[in-house]
Amino acid sequence: MSTRPAISTSTVIDVDTLNLSYGDFHAVKDLSFHVEQGELYALLGTNGSGKTSTLEVIEGHRKASSGDVRVFGKSPTDRGAVRPRMGIMLQESGFSPDLTVAESVRLVGRLSGREDTVDRVLGIVDLTRKADTRVSQLSGGEKRRLDFATAVYGRPELIVLDEPTTGLDIASRDALWDAVQQLLQDGSTIVLTTHYLEEAQQRADRIGLMHDGAFVHQGTVSDLTRTLPASIQFSLPRDAPAPPLQSAPLADRSYAIETFTLQEDLKTLLDWAHDHTVELQGLQAAPTRLDDVFRAIGAGQTAS
Amino acid sequence: MLPIAHSELIQIFRNRAVLIASLFMPAAASAFFVHYRDTFERIGSLGYIAAVIAFTIGAFSLYATTVTTLAARRQDLFLKRLRSTAAGDASILSGQMLPVSAISLVQVSVILVVFAVISERPADIALLVVAILASFVMMLALGMATAGVTRSPEHAQVTTLPLSLGIIAVVNWVAITGTESLTLLKRLLPGGAATELVVNAWDGGVALTDSLFLLAPTLAWVVVAVALAANMFRWEPRR
Repeated sequence: MSTRPAISTSTVIDVDTLNLSYGDFHAVKDLSFHVEQGELYALLGTNGSGKTSTLEVIEGHRKASSGDVRVFGKSPTDRGAVRPRMGIMLQESGFSPDLTVAESVRLVGRLSGREDTVDRVLGIVDLTRKADTRVSQLSGGEKRRLDFATAVYGRPELIVLDEPTTGLDIASRDALWDAVQQLLQDGSTIVLTTHYLEEAQQRADRIGLMHDGAFVHQGTVSDLTRTLPASIQFSLPRDAPAPPLQSAPLADRSYAIETFTLQEDLKTLLDWAHDHTVELQGLQAAPTRLDDVFRAIGAGQTAS
Repeated sequence: MLPIAHSELIQIFRNRAVLIASLFMPAAASAFFVHYRDTFERIGSLGYIAAVIAFTIGAFSLYATTVTTLAARRQDLFLKRLRSTAAGDASILSGQMLPVSAISLVQVSVILVVFAVISERPADIALLVVAILASFVMMLALGMATAGVTRSPEHAQVTTLPLSLGIIAVVNWVAITGTESLTLLKRLLPGGAATELVVNAWDGGVALTDSLFLLAPTLAWVVVAVALAANMFRWEPRR
């Protein structure tokens, strides 16, 4: 009998003990997660951690070696049932160089099973003036925008974006995130991978952090950053007493405090400095960022 | 299927190299055979010329173009893009193959009609149509199978040579020397029985039951080619 919690009726994606192997290489190991309607779920991980392989199973491009994956309660390989509700942005573009931008969108749009107009989706990604340009003449960033345009054709209920902002300039990234935000407000569910951690930290409702084919952490940004201590750094004058918190003294009366209760400890430190009229020189209080969690994984630390 | 076929047709007509290789070269070769029909009739027969024309178009316009375009579409991840939509695999493949198949059928029809007008009408048109259609289905399926081992459109120039030249060699051997000697071998080779069917259909003088017997190895090769295609064709570049 399964010990997994009952899946909500608003569950869009349900992944249960997914395993995927390429020959002897075990790319995805016992992965389980679910994505609820209206969520932005980010799959993050080191290079080769299995993010794209996981997405490809969800997209129906690859069959799981074992485990069960459901999208809208159906097998993702049931294209006729799932794809009209799902837009996909591949990691690499996959457009014919001999077709124009408008022809590419029109083709994918007509095959998507959704209703929309080429002009509207090209407007979203600012490619209207390139409508009659052949794909071979687009820059890398323009191809990514074209890819995004086809993914959001017809405002699908679920949008899967594999590294959507890679290769985009800042203005294009902002425009893409604005479009994503609008889709979320309209009720779409979004699953994405990205190497830009700050994007995930700012935008994702939940994050699955992968390493070596498995989840290292899964949860909200604060769930993840809570696994590592924040830091407080400062220097003290020569005649100052020892600080109140346990700290690792660095050179030149500099101190670094690692803490899981940043606000509380910072208040203690500031109160102490006030009471002893001590100046905390170069005071820095840094909350844990996703980058820190990421680096900890790379360094082989297993944060709790 | 039709949107895919339409886009494929646009791509073929915008790619000069594919257009020349798939349309003009086989047509030019066929025109050469038709122009020197008296010489080639002395070597074989009018049926021999018809068989060479049909298989030249089948091998170069249909088979080689199928391999080249499928390899290109897979390399560009265009096939994966199409599979990211609601279209089914059969619909995608049909759409991809429809333009090149139609171009080849129109080519062979026009050239053989011109050939019939300026020389002699085929003795059995229905049998000729069946033989050519079966051969084209075989070539199409073999094209899909060969695309499975072809990394890129450039690589297709190498991978298509053995089969296209081999088929043309079989056609010439069977049509020029006949099947009185080495009968079983000639009929079991790919395109062998189909060539004999085309020659019989054009030249006449052979009982229909004898010709129908040749349909068995012809259709068997269609089944083999389709099985090879099903096993060897790949949608995505090898990881």
